[in-house]
Amino acid sequence: MFRNYFLTAWRHVFKNRLFSFINIFGLAVGLMSCMLIFLFVEDELSYDDWLPEGDRIVRLHSAFLSPDRPAFRTVSAPGFWMDAISAYAAADVETAVRLVRTNQTIIKDEKVFDERLVFADSTFFDIFKLPFVAGSAASAFSKPMDFIVSEEMALKYFGRIDVVGETLTVCCVQGQEVDVRVSGVIKDIPENSHLDIDFLVFLDPPMFDFAPNILKTWTSVNTLTYFKLKEGATVEGFKARVYDWLDRESPFRKMTADAGMDGQPSDFIRPNVMAVPDLHLHARPDAGNFGDMRPMGDIRFVYTFSAVAFLILAIACINFMNLSTARATQRAREVALRKVLGASRTQVALQFLGEAVMLSLIALMLGLMGVEMVLPAYNDVLGRSLEMTIATNGGLMALALGVAVLVGVIAGSYPALVLSRFAPARILKANKSSDAEGSGRLRMLLVVIQFAVSIGLAICTAVVYGQSMYAQKMDLGFETEGKIVMRNFTSAPIAEQRESIGRELAALPGVESVVFSSEVPTDDNENNTGFQLLSAAGDTSANTEERIINYFSVDFGFFEAYGIDPVAGRTFDRSRGNEVIEAALEDNSIRRSASVVINEMAARNLGFSNAADAVGRVLRAGVYRAGPYDLTIVGVVPDVHFRSIRFGKQPSVYFVQPTNMDVATVTYRTADLPSLVSAIGGTWRRVAPNVPMDMSFLNDMIAAQYADDVAQGTLFAAFSGLAILVACLGLYGLAHFTAERRTKEIGIRKVMGARTRDIVRLLVWQLSKPVVVANLIAWPVAWYLMVDWLQGFEYRLGHGYILVAAVVAGLVALLIAWGTVAGRAIRVASAKPIHALRYE
Amino acid sequence: MLKMHNLSKIYRTDEVETIALNNVNIEINSGEFVAIMGPSGCGKSTLLNIIGMLDNPSEGDYLFFDENVARYSEAKLANIRKRHIGFIFQSFNLIDELTVAENIELALLYHDIAASERRDRVAAVMDKVGIAHRAKHMPSQLSGGQQQRVAVARAVVGNQSMILADEPTGNLDSAHGQEVMEMLQGLNEEGTTIVMVTHSPAHADYARRTINLFDGQVVTENLRAA
Repeated sequence: MFRNYFLTAWRHVFKNRLFSFINIFGLAVGLMSCMLIFLFVEDELSYDDWLPEGDRIVRLHSAFLSPDRPAFRTVSAPGFWMDAISAYAAADVETAVRLVRTNQTIIKDEKVFDERLVFADSTFFDIFKLPFVAGSAASAFSKPMDFIVSEEMALKYFGRIDVVGETLTVCCVQGQEVDVRVSGVIKDIPENSHLDIDFLVFLDPPMFDFAPNILKTWTSVNTLTYFKLKEGATVEGFKARVYDWLDRESPFRKMTADAGMDGQPSDFIRPNVMAVPDLHLHARPDAGNFGDMRPMGDIRFVYTFSAVAFLILAIACINFMNLSTARATQRAREVALRKVLGASRTQVALQFLGEAVMLSLIALMLGLMGVEMVLPAYNDVLGRSLEMTIATNGGLMALALGVAVLVGVIAGSYPALVLSRFAPARILKANKSSDAEGSGRLRMLLVVIQFAVSIGLAICTAVVYGQSMYAQKMDLGFETEGKIVMRNFTSAPIAEQRESIGRELAALPGVESVVFSSEVPTDDNENNTGFQLLSAAGDTSANTEERIINYFSVDFGFFEAYGIDPVAGRTFDRSRGNEVIEAALEDNSIRRSASVVINEMAARNLGFSNAADAVGRVLRAGVYRAGPYDLTIVGVVPDVHFRSIRFGKQPSVYFVQPTNMDVATVTYRTADLPSLVSAIGGTWRRVAPNVPMDMSFLNDMIAAQYADDVAQGTLFAAFSGLAILVACLGLYGLAHFTAERRTKEIGIRKVMGARTRDIVRLLVWQLSKPVVVANLIAWPVAWYLMVDWLQGFEYRLGHGYILVAAVVAGLVALLIAWGTVAGRAIRVASAKPIHALRYE
Repeated sequence: MLKMHNLSKIYRTDEVETIALNNVNIEINSGEFVAIMGPSGCGKSTLLNIIGMLDNPSEGDYLFFDENVARYSEAKLANIRKRHIGFIFQSFNLIDELTVAENIELALLYHDIAASERRDRVAAVMDKVGIAHRAKHMPSQLSGGQQQRVAVARAVVGNQSMILADEPTGNLDSAHGQEVMEMLQGLNEEGTTIVMVTHSPAHADYARRTINLFDGQVVTENLRAA
């Protein structure tokens, strides 16, 4: 008997190839999309889960609010907080560690590499129990300059793993090239961690005496600070202790009081505490413009993505059920015959259930094959190395199996229950399939849902894509073409030669100019200091409020090189005196003077409604590594998008401080870019053999800022494309089915004189109705979601764009539906009516 | 009115060739009432379909009002068909989703006739066949005889000059069968040409002429005395 069922099912699949294909392929695509998305989601959720006692490790973030400017948020905390808070919250804290990230050059056998070293307090391995390959925490991490490398780095520099005792040259620790001895090797940290450590160096606080901002300065925020909480302590409880400390014990208390500021320190400083396993997905809002050690995830993206997966699966399931039930009603005769021949109702029901489950299992297998095929490209877009194996993804696969079986059971249960109930005599006598009145309406409702979801996804995709195009195509306010950016000009071996290297580079054929600055566009580094506007009368007494403003150090010619013209006054002029901020003096009380250029927002911020009024006024400030200065505003430049437009523009002050210029912008105009690049490389290797060359094209750097958005947009587009494809497959199947079911009616109409186009119009309109209704549902929902999403961007598309996207998506959906249906309708409608009537 | 000359219809599948009609020569004049008889599979329905332009002949000529329509396309045939020919089927062929009135109106829908005139003509023909009280009912709510009356109404509402009836009484009991035959006779007396396929000698007697088919060929033609 089972063989008979199997044969019937198999022949049914083959006889109705089209339906079987749509059914199986649609569900396979749905399951594939779902599995791909959940592979990603699973990976996102797994961050730092592997870390022993990870729940007890928390990180301290800090945010500084200022009425004058956007809040300054970082995932770091000032270096001195660790000890102070550990002492104050001793009841909660077991131990703590700070990480300081620095970029250094490592030299081995004449080869130079730019690497990131992480300095960590001695307690590091008490908190992060990373496994060692060679050495142990006790032997390898106990004294200053103990130097641990990852397995990957051991292989990179020495070609083997057991490298304890080998030496590397690091440039530069306190300005000196030093040889370090590798004291231990740790296993590579898994990709699903926020930690990214290739070189771990024992942090001896006096090492950073030369740079007090790292560990000592109250308001400098440069250390990632982790606490391991005692058993039983909670994240919330500890956070409350941190706020207590801030308001009761911290030096900020005196600072706010001295500055005559109203309120508590916690009104201006807003720390946050987050458990390590939450960092990857939840720390982004705390990070401001800055990143973590690895690219950060975003819980909202995980939610959105999961929702998309669910919707695609829903569309595919609806298809499967819709078409299965539609087809099954046509098999009423088979059921009737089986019952006449003695089949029980249960047997008939089981037969249909078995068939549907068989199809859904075939779909699952195809879906798994699809995952295998698509995974490399998917990993490319995501920048991951996700894998699908039974060992690691058993849960996901079991889930997929469960979903497939469930879909099969649901799809099979309608025909199983309804058909098995039919009285055989009635069906055989009527000599036609019986289709319940309501089932057609239910089917149309399901089609409406499918199309509403597809159209909604299409609108969202268009808006997400449009926004990322808008961001990339937006006029940033400066020239981005023909610019090469080179870094490391403040590194010790070449800082002295910066100007001469600049002249050499400028002399290369094709180079128009070389200008230096502390940052270039796209750099996330942010420097802020307080500026006090002196009164117009030239009064030198400080009588106005200090404003915290972002500053950049730029060279003569910087604005010209970037094509930024002043709106008032002038830019820096090498031929004048008194323009430059010089190095610090022994005597820190001497106030010197120099020039500054500010942007329009800064001018407004300082109280000038007319930019020209600011020219000639004086700002008083303590300049980092220079001392007290009175800075005359010589010009006002337009606001430009120095960072990703997600963050908007900022009030900014520009001055010329040669000791602070790390980056060169080489503006070129040449037809032979490769020669220029190799000439630059040659010059660099000749003058700075010990410094790795860090060279990139500015427009690549700008594009990289949007890489995340583009990747998101690409995935979103790909998955909503799949959703639409599956929905259209379903509509096609349904068109086919409807046309078939209405064959008799079409025949009669044709006998009555209906032309082919009358019939086509009839069928197309019938199947367009659900798409039109779907639009009416999708539009307001997509509108609401997208208006909300766009709020997250400082510079965003107008809402009119959503409307355009909605209209276009709706029309395209309608066109696709027509295209899908029309072909079938024309074929049916142009057939000779006698065929329709004869076979009735 | 129509003339068939050496007309054949051959159905071909991959392996089998079936000759449904073989060298048929018949002529039907306006106002005639013709019955076509013969055993199952003799080609009666095929002949009726070709007369009704629902199908093309494989060979031979078919002159309809002196116009040879044997090779006409489906679109051209449809155009002639809707102006001249009404159909009545054994299985009624009403559309289940439409009411009685809407089913009848279908025959006018594809002509350029204003909605108000359509309404009037449908009402008039429903009165004529005695189905007006059922105008808003669905076909499934009617008896077989009533359904066939709707089909007759639909066949004549467009003032077609010829009605083709394919075993119109085949699905009806004798009382309802007779009722339909009388209705057809009445239409014939008003001048409508009627061509009817039937198995029933009694119903064939309503016709003035009977064409007997056997294995696709016309074997005899009997004229009934008027």
